[in-house]
Amino acid sequence: MPEYTPFEMIAFTGSRVLEDEKIVFVGTGLPIIASMHAQLTHAPNLAMIFESGPLSPVLEMGMPLSVGDTRACRKACYLKGLSAVFELTQRGYSDYAFIGGAQIDMYGNVCSTFEGGTYNAPQTRFPGSGGAGAMAANCEKSIIIMALEKRRFTEKVEFLTSIGFGDGSADYREKAGVMGAGPYRVITNQALFGFDAKTRRMTLLEVLPGKTAQDIQELVSFELLVSKDLKEMAEPTAEDLRLLREVCDPEGYFLNRKVK
Amino acid sequence: MKKAVSSKIKKVSNLKYDQQLAESPFEWWGPSPDEARRVMSAKSKGMHDKRASLKEAVARYVKDGINIGIGGFVNTRVPVAAVHEVIRHGARNLTLSFQSNSICAELLAGAMILDPDRVSIKRVELAWWGYEVIGIAPLLRYLTSKGMIQLDDYTNYGMSARFKAAAMGIPFVPTRDHGGSDMELVNRGRMTSCPFTGKNVYLVPACHPDVALIHVTAADMYGNCRIFGAHCTCPEITMAAAHSIVTTEKIIPNENIRTYPNLTEIPYAAVDALIEQPYGAYPGASYGFHWFDMDHIKMFRSVCDAFRKTGKKDDLKKYYDEYIFGCETYDDFLEKISFKTLRKLRDLDGGQPIILS
Repeated sequence: MPEYTPFEMIAFTGSRVLEDEKIVFVGTGLPIIASMHAQLTHAPNLAMIFESGPLSPVLEMGMPLSVGDTRACRKACYLKGLSAVFELTQRGYSDYAFIGGAQIDMYGNVCSTFEGGTYNAPQTRFPGSGGAGAMAANCEKSIIIMALEKRRFTEKVEFLTSIGFGDGSADYREKAGVMGAGPYRVITNQALFGFDAKTRRMTLLEVLPGKTAQDIQELVSFELLVSKDLKEMAEPTAEDLRLLREVCDPEGYFLNRKVK
Repeated sequence: MKKAVSSKIKKVSNLKYDQQLAESPFEWWGPSPDEARRVMSAKSKGMHDKRASLKEAVARYVKDGINIGIGGFVNTRVPVAAVHEVIRHGARNLTLSFQSNSICAELLAGAMILDPDRVSIKRVELAWWGYEVIGIAPLLRYLTSKGMIQLDDYTNYGMSARFKAAAMGIPFVPTRDHGGSDMELVNRGRMTSCPFTGKNVYLVPACHPDVALIHVTAADMYGNCRIFGAHCTCPEITMAAAHSIVTTEKIIPNENIRTYPNLTEIPYAAVDALIEQPYGAYPGASYGFHWFDMDHIKMFRSVCDAFRKTGKKDDLKKYYDEYIFGCETYDDFLEKISFKTLRKLRDLDGGQPIILS
């Protein structure tokens, strides 16, 4: 197997999770790279939405560096503004929300607002919801990228920014007034998680070859469910890595970052 | 504001927040829908030449205590030229409203840190404040950690829908987000029962800025605007605002507008002052004209981050003295950016197709 970085593994796994014939609402960075890779391999008829306005652009000018990048509008089929694309999600036109965040709990609730202190005087204020809160509410399924660390896979998020299954009750999302079905996958470089249909709790589906469920549990603050059919994560081939490195993110803006 | 209907957020929330503040009676952070309506009804609706200098426009409309609506999205078509002029002019006790912004919000925050008697921000209604790939916004982090500004958090759709409601002349709009998140506890929206289905639905209040700052692709001299690339929320913000200051890459003949009226995204009646300002969104990007200048944004951000880490204002002050206070106009600022840089940015956008005819 060729060598790869943690970010390359996340992008590759993100690509694997996306099915063809769907519309994915992408956040900046790895979600865009994963979606580009999917389009180049198993999902040629996967379309992207960027929240500034475009649906189904052709990213022939290179990877947009942000979801507001003018390059994300290139040869789009439909190009309006934020209202229009978020209304597409409310109506059911978007299958996947592809987001990130700073903290996640066992029900897939995500924090991207602040850490430490209080809401009114936070120690570390993050940028805020942006599109993520709306995407997690109204795209049909949420895919969440997170660094696998105990402080991020937390018992309780400090600010519930992007809705998951709330407290895990069956009607949490209905009472919240949101339209999407909720969290679907959580992607890290060492493990892929899903959610148990009955309890709505995070469930370990796949581990990096050589890792055990116990290894992953040690990096998570809450108790994980483990799939009866626990699998090894597929690893990127040389061709996958070539696409990621030469086509998707040739400048290495997101794939070459240092792991903190 | 007491919230009678709610989701089950309280069962899961771990949020530490000022409950009294969150439950205080609702107030508009800018003109109420009725006040905004009165301003619009009182305006002369004739088609007249709206061209002005930025200095005149800002002096006429920007006052202490107002709500400024900022157009664009993160680094795209952001009204930087207008923000420079607001900083030179000075405006205290401001409310800012936008969905996602980078440099405009940071520029105003930096001006407040340097001289709060000239520029100060009281509160911000927003969805997101940062630089995406370039990093977090250092001055947002600084001001919030000191409790120096009040934030009111929505999603990008929430803020867009709030401007849209205002542009539609309605006091609120139902949305399918915010509910079941901590935003339900702290922002000024509220959960209610749908009168038709009985199900929970989240309402967000209209947002009418006193003044919208907007940069567009092209406009005729009366203020009929075309926008190419992502519209962001610019049409809604402009039409929501009591007054608007619009900068445009190019002024085109009214005849062109009348040839293709479908291409008009903002009608003349919604524009109070129009300024032809090429590169008016620089160092942000403007579709069809230029890409964003990552180097300049990184340079400004690093100056802000150095202040956040050391508390020393020298380099921050140097940036403002050089690029804002040392300039009479935005053209003076652009004069300090090399032609080679502007040319490179023009080439990087690839001349994406726009229609000026």
